[in-house]
Amino acid sequence: MPKVVIDGEVLEVAAGTTILQAALTVGREIPHYCYHPGLSIAGNCRMCLVEVEKAPKLVIGCYSPVADGMVVHTDSAKVKEARSAMMEFFLINHPLDCPICDQAGECRLQEYSVEHGGGASRYTEPKRALAKAVDIGRHVMLDQERCIQCSRCIRFCDEVTQTSELDFFQRGERSQIGIFPGKRLDNAYSGNVVDLCPVGALTLKEFRFKTRVWYLKNTPSICGGCARGCNVVVSVGQQQTMMTTRGQLDDRVKRIVPRVNEEVNAHWICDEGRMSYVNEQEAVRLPASRIGGADAPYDAAIAAAAAKLRDAARNGKLGLIASPRTLSEDLFAWGEVVASLGGATRGVRQIVRGENDALLIRADKGANARGAAWIFGAAADETAVMDAVSRGSATTLLVLGDTLDPKDTPTLPPAAQGRVEVIFAGPFVSGAAERAAVAIPSASWSEADGTYVNFEGRAQRVRRCHLPLGEARPGWRIALDVAAAAGAPVPAWGNADDVLRALAASVKEFEGVTVEAMGLLGVPMPVSSGV
Amino acid sequence: MERILTRNVDNAEALTLHGYEASGGYRALRKAVSSMTPDAVTDEVKKSGLRGRGGAGFPCGLKWSFMPKEVDSRRPHYFLINADESEPGTFKDRLLMEKDPHLVLEGSLLGAYAIRAKAVYIYIRGEFVYATQVLMRAVAEAYARNYAGANILGSGWSCELIVHRGAGAYICGEETALMSSLEGNRGYPRLKPPFPAASGVWGCPTTINNVETVANVPFIIERGADWYLTVGKPPKNTGPKLYCLSGHVKRPGVYEAPLGLPMKELIYELGGGMLDDDRPLKAVIPGGSSVPVLRAEDCDVDLDFDSLAAKGTMLGSAGIMVMDQSTCMVAAMARIAHFYHHESCGQCTPCREGCGWLERVLNRIEAGNGMSQDLDLLLSVSNNIIGNTICALGDAAAMPMISFVTAFRDEFQHHIDHRSCLTGTRALQGVR
Amino acid sequence: MLGAEFENAVDAIVANYPQPKAALLPVLWEVQKAKGVIDLEAEEWVAARLGVAASHVHGCVTFYTMYKQKPSGRHHIQLCTTLSCMLRGSDELMRHLEGKLGIKAGETTPDGKFSLVRVECLGSCGTAPMFQLNDDYHENLTNESVDRLLASLE
Repeated sequence: MPKVVIDGEVLEVAAGTTILQAALTVGREIPHYCYHPGLSIAGNCRMCLVEVEKAPKLVIGCYSPVADGMVVHTDSAKVKEARSAMMEFFLINHPLDCPICDQAGECRLQEYSVEHGGGASRYTEPKRALAKAVDIGRHVMLDQERCIQCSRCIRFCDEVTQTSELDFFQRGERSQIGIFPGKRLDNAYSGNVVDLCPVGALTLKEFRFKTRVWYLKNTPSICGGCARGCNVVVSVGQQQTMMTTRGQLDDRVKRIVPRVNEEVNAHWICDEGRMSYVNEQEAVRLPASRIGGADAPYDAAIAAAAAKLRDAARNGKLGLIASPRTLSEDLFAWGEVVASLGGATRGVRQIVRGENDALLIRADKGANARGAAWIFGAAADETAVMDAVSRGSATTLLVLGDTLDPKDTPTLPPAAQGRVEVIFAGPFVSGAAERAAVAIPSASWSEADGTYVNFEGRAQRVRRCHLPLGEARPGWRIALDVAAAAGAPVPAWGNADDVLRALAASVKEFEGVTVEAMGLLGVPMPVSSGV
Repeated sequence: MERILTRNVDNAEALTLHGYEASGGYRALRKAVSSMTPDAVTDEVKKSGLRGRGGAGFPCGLKWSFMPKEVDSRRPHYFLINADESEPGTFKDRLLMEKDPHLVLEGSLLGAYAIRAKAVYIYIRGEFVYATQVLMRAVAEAYARNYAGANILGSGWSCELIVHRGAGAYICGEETALMSSLEGNRGYPRLKPPFPAASGVWGCPTTINNVETVANVPFIIERGADWYLTVGKPPKNTGPKLYCLSGHVKRPGVYEAPLGLPMKELIYELGGGMLDDDRPLKAVIPGGSSVPVLRAEDCDVDLDFDSLAAKGTMLGSAGIMVMDQSTCMVAAMARIAHFYHHESCGQCTPCREGCGWLERVLNRIEAGNGMSQDLDLLLSVSNNIIGNTICALGDAAAMPMISFVTAFRDEFQHHIDHRSCLTGTRALQGVR
Repeated sequence: MLGAEFENAVDAIVANYPQPKAALLPVLWEVQKAKGVIDLEAEEWVAARLGVAASHVHGCVTFYTMYKQKPSGRHHIQLCTTLSCMLRGSDELMRHLEGKLGIKAGETTPDGKFSLVRVECLGSCGTAPMFQLNDDYHENLTNESVDRLLASLE
């Protein structure tokens, strides 16, 4: 293994490691634009120039492999001068759009200017003008002037989605990113080019001009869109809305971006997952508990629900159908409570749309379908419950509503309506909620801590990104309150972590799954579990 | 002086294969293919000291020796002829292709044999329509005579010969950009390594040579490296050379002479002297616009690789551009700056942004709107480009800039301070 | 797209290369020869024929200056203005041509007969000043020889 000295520190790295990668292993990031670990190397931005002793000129760190005995300086006077020169070149034609550019606050041009730039500009000539605010796709806007021609977006569409919508047109200083006239950037992963773009040349339509990034509170979580469980960062707006009478913080989800997890989603997320917060934020919420369609206080609704559930369970007439996006903790809690009331026919709805693609998208849209199978048993799909409902052997149905999209909430087959009474716990108004005998609002996908298990058996931590709206509570807490009101034993759980500990002690596939173990990257399925 | 490279230029007969053979052509190819191994051909060329005539002057035989000695059938070898001649001041390859196409083909086939190539692609600039037609006629004749194609002259070696037209991009004369373009892409130079001999076109071992370079090879093979070493200035500057003389001289054109011809002899004897006897020499760019300019007083120099390098410039493509006293050096450099700005491929930051910046500042100075910090700015920007780019075009834009501003600083300063031209021959537009 | 003869020519070109993409520049020349320009429809045809993205074809058409997306005049004058030609009077010749044709460099005469562009070094520095008229080089030009040439063109 070659030994290389980087800024005085001796490193031993695998042969073929580039200078930039080697420096990263010791926490030193050589500034760069065009390099991206998920894409091929372009070497065109020239920002990562470093000094290698005995080399005739500076070399780019992103491309040059380390050699045994190589001595590298990433911060010498020559390197600083070159970086400052590159920054100057980047800025001479770059429009001064910061005041209106979404990238401000997370823009590498800004950050490197401050860190490495020369300060005042020496450029007094006209800047080259190109097209701004070009609509190139369902989700993406292009500003050709801001582009620094790093080619990340082109490489993404060539190498990852292999759809090649984007390319450089013209030549030299007039080089511009573009799309074939008349075509659209419409692949299922188009939003990733916005993340990739180091500047504000590619922006997301849904996020454009919505807020400034320094107002965002960012929480690492897991996408609820499908069984892949892409790792994400959910950004919630914290800008004080001065127009509201109470001057409260906005506190709504403003965007979702992917988080790197090489074992799950690498660096990417699909557009549907990226946009999943839109459904979740815009769907009509169940504002308060309801009995028979009329608003009721929470305690009254709990009492009513407890009575109906206990009676049905005692008579063997209770069914439970959960959305496959229900958190593991909620599934476990309801399962325990229902069992202590007398038992129920349990099932998990299957949401299957389309096909698995070659990248990330799974046809199974149940982000916790695997976790549900582990907790309720693999045989507990919706058919058993729905059969019971159709045959009349279940006359009360506890419905755990979908936490991401009301359209995916389990619902009664039409034939059963009127014969079967529904106890509903979920965040959104939906068909099942509207016809429910008792409806209790619970937390949506972004409002509660919990655990999802993806299709490969990886247990990953879903995190609460903001306070639940209105009276919504975590599902497991509602279950506990029902147990108390029904006179059943109430487990001593104070928070979601307590529920997970109980779950891990009870369901063998969850052994070893703790909040600490999941961390940011999740816990892969244990080899021995054999599920 | 014996005309070697240009011996057929005035012989219209040689345009046909029959006429070319009558003048001694294709003897070298026959000899090589029947009695020499490919490595023996390479060794002979190495021994001759032939250096690349495209601009870099890299030893040709050494370049050929980088190729694998055995061919992996999954990775055939390719020989590319760089006929993209676009360096300002250069027009010698065109002469060879138009007047002695079979010399070019024979040299190409000899090189292909030496490196065990499966095909030769002649990448010719799109503007050379006539030369393309001449070459393609010659290629058809070569195939008909079994000098190209399958089982050449019964040797067992097969090699295709294909003429490939460019479409207007100086950058495609850079060898890795040429490969990108040949593969059907925008003419973007590539990061090195890998070098072409390791991985070139289509990931295969590749060698690229200039037209004039390969035109030397038939003579080396037929007459031997020892003979070649008697021409020019051995050991490092051997062989005959085509010099392209242009600008303010009475007889511009291509002149052949042994490498090392004194510049003054080219200009004043072969070239007939200054265009206007009342306007003496002011400056010469000796090697195409990418090399530093020489003041008249520095023009007592031999036109070979090492002599010019010692003077801080280069032989380059041997495009000798002569400027007399009427020339505004500011205007001349502005025109050169425009060229690089126009031709930059745009791939890497310093060249893409820097070339435009240089031209804009120079245009301002030229028009009489220069500012006092402009000259230092030009030098600074140029130095920021040099060495930091993917290919040499950035250096080619920056080094002449530095040489002009340094060698003729008073003229540039005069434009700035007095908004007028020292030559007195131009009224400045004063446009802002 | 343009008939059997064109497609046969394209097939012959593609056969010269180990990968079809390499035929791109020569095929684009064939298109321009047949159509006079390379329009978007042709770009998409070429993309499909060679198995590359349409954006890639467009990227190449816009990179190389000799490919035309819009028609030029019947007589397309490409005047070299790089250093050696400039030293021998190309700028004055440009002004003369602009005056004679009544257009500026970059424009086409209203009747579509002439278009005039400024180009970089054409590799004819020894016979400067000069221009390329459609495919042909015209060298050692003077105002008079240019006038005679223009007058002879239909």
